[in-house]
Amino acid sequence: MVKTLVIKLCVFFLFVIWGCSNQSSIQQTDISDWSSIDSLSRNTTVHFMMWQGSPAVNKYINSYLIPEVKKRFNIDLQISGGQGPEIVQLLMGEKQADVRSGQVDMVWINGETFFQLRQIDGLWGPFADQLPNARYIDFDDPYIGIDFQQPINGMEAPWGNTQFALVYDSIKLPNPPRTLDELSQFVKNSPGTFTISNDFSGMSMLKSMLAELGGSPTSLNGPFEEQKYQTLSTQLWDWINSHNPYFWKKGETFPREHTKMDQMFASGELLISYGFNEGGIEDKVIQGLFPTSTRGYAWKNGTVHNSNYLGITYNSPNRTGALQVINFMLSPEAQLVKMDVNGMNSNTVLEIDRLPEEWREKFEQATQRQYGPTMKSLAPYSIQEPAPEYMLRLFEDFRKNVIEK
Amino acid sequence: MKSKPTFGLLFFFLLGLLPFVAALIYALLYSLGIVGILSEGASISYWRQVFQSGELIGSFLYSALLAGIGVALSVSLALLVSMGLRTSLQHRFWSLLIYFPLAIPGMVASFLSIQLLSKAGFFSRISMKMGWIDSLQQFPDWINDSYGIGIILTFVLIVSPFFVILFSNVYQNERVSELSTLAYSLGARSNQVFWKVTLPILFSKTKRIMILYFIFLLGSYEIPLVLGQESPQMLSVLIIRELKQFDLKLIPEGYVIAVAYTVVIAVSALLVFRRREVQVHE
Repeated sequence: MVKTLVIKLCVFFLFVIWGCSNQSSIQQTDISDWSSIDSLSRNTTVHFMMWQGSPAVNKYINSYLIPEVKKRFNIDLQISGGQGPEIVQLLMGEKQADVRSGQVDMVWINGETFFQLRQIDGLWGPFADQLPNARYIDFDDPYIGIDFQQPINGMEAPWGNTQFALVYDSIKLPNPPRTLDELSQFVKNSPGTFTISNDFSGMSMLKSMLAELGGSPTSLNGPFEEQKYQTLSTQLWDWINSHNPYFWKKGETFPREHTKMDQMFASGELLISYGFNEGGIEDKVIQGLFPTSTRGYAWKNGTVHNSNYLGITYNSPNRTGALQVINFMLSPEAQLVKMDVNGMNSNTVLEIDRLPEEWREKFEQATQRQYGPTMKSLAPYSIQEPAPEYMLRLFEDFRKNVIEK
Repeated sequence: MKSKPTFGLLFFFLLGLLPFVAALIYALLYSLGIVGILSEGASISYWRQVFQSGELIGSFLYSALLAGIGVALSVSLALLVSMGLRTSLQHRFWSLLIYFPLAIPGMVASFLSIQLLSKAGFFSRISMKMGWIDSLQQFPDWINDSYGIGIILTFVLIVSPFFVILFSNVYQNERVSELSTLAYSLGARSNQVFWKVTLPILFSKTKRIMILYFIFLLGSYEIPLVLGQESPQMLSVLIIRELKQFDLKLIPEGYVIAVAYTVVIAVSALLVFRRREVQVHE
């Protein structure tokens, strides 16, 4: 009796294994023939993995994007939660297990993840510049066509556009610091109210400081240079370590992520916070987390300006569906709704001048932000995202030279 | 009749042991650079790197210290409560109050601690309203602090109720009160009864559970994630950080720590388990 059971179990497991490996191979996709993509994509399901940490973003996806693609193309858009590291780990795992038909069709990524996915060949493409709505996008714009100093070459499609901004309360702090010298004065006058988060945002702040030490907004442009990094970063760690006693918790510890900084800014423990999406001010004021006197600004020598992108996974089982959804997300209509200051409030990647007359007017007449800075006001103070090696090294050395000291 | 346990054992092997062993072997291979899509061939460089940096040892000692203090404080508090309030604990209201913290997940307990203990938290605000401190900044540092005070307090919050209940039950089951009466009748003082009768009985019956709780706290994740600092970090937080790091080429280091940690815990758990068997046969 035991024997039969064992045999039954073995057969069962064999079936499971066979079932896993017997996946349909993916058909070739020719983007130039959009009408066939259009018809192939209808009545399908697309799996989209994205960061779901913002209620405003989730609302845009759930109450606008999902119903619209259902209505227009009868596509069932399924969202699963996951950002950078989760996406990379998922695709690394699938690649390792040789999964030909993956769990996810499209992903929302930024330059950090793009760099990682390129290392593991996790993306399918090129596709971005061949989408019908790509004609409204200026791929020669260095803040769109170049991601972390690497040309995107059609491997990801820009979706949103953002600049790093510092956040302050204009009543408590009428003249926030804009340079390292001013920051030095500021932390000495108000000790314990500034810190650097040990995450993407904090490292972006460090990049601004590093570029200032380099002497110009373009000082970090181009490929990574060891010598330049050594010289500038040594100055940076010296600066930070000499000011550490005036940081939050006397610089003995640093917050793990900038959301924590936002909370401490809201409770008054910190006087300065920062982040992408021009500081993420508008929705936090509207939610009531930040006071209405909250404003944002850029570093005098510039803060990082970059785009976030949509990519298609190398093993996507439904490429045509993903192409259709991404193309719709880049349409003037979808981008206009995404810009709504009371909604997701994200800058468009479309070149307004290239749009048809009626859409141009709509974009120009869109309501302006009440609290957060506009991209236009920050534009003179923007720097390009430096090569990814700067980020790798800043993470490593910030831990070694500051946190563990 | 013999087939049943064999089948159970097979099931345990297939569903319980096999995935665990497979995962461990996979982690070991990954840590040696043998698998992994960015692997550059087998090497022990990741192991050397991890042990040379000293971060693993530091994290291990730090975790052990916090877990040890957490268990010791919880046990002391539970002893105080269970012995001090022995009669009240039989009252429905009090026992409900003790059971309540058992239902709080680690993540929720952590946020509760932030609400209560941080510089902008409940106690800080009360202290300021009472005039004990002039600004919120002066409130002592208990969250994300260098000594892990927030972590320890939260450990105590979630662990001590369990020991209160455990001690009360052992006290009843082992008839400690009858034994105490006997000791009194033989002329012992109440101090002596506590140290020579009550405490040894309670400890000998619960010490393995204390060790298991120590292991549980050693590997806890959410509480040190929310309340801990960036360096040193508790083991689970360190492992996840290494596994999710930006530099994909260094991910094997995360597996090194995971394997080292699993081996240490598995060996110590095995030792605890073996000693128990010995005692059963006594």
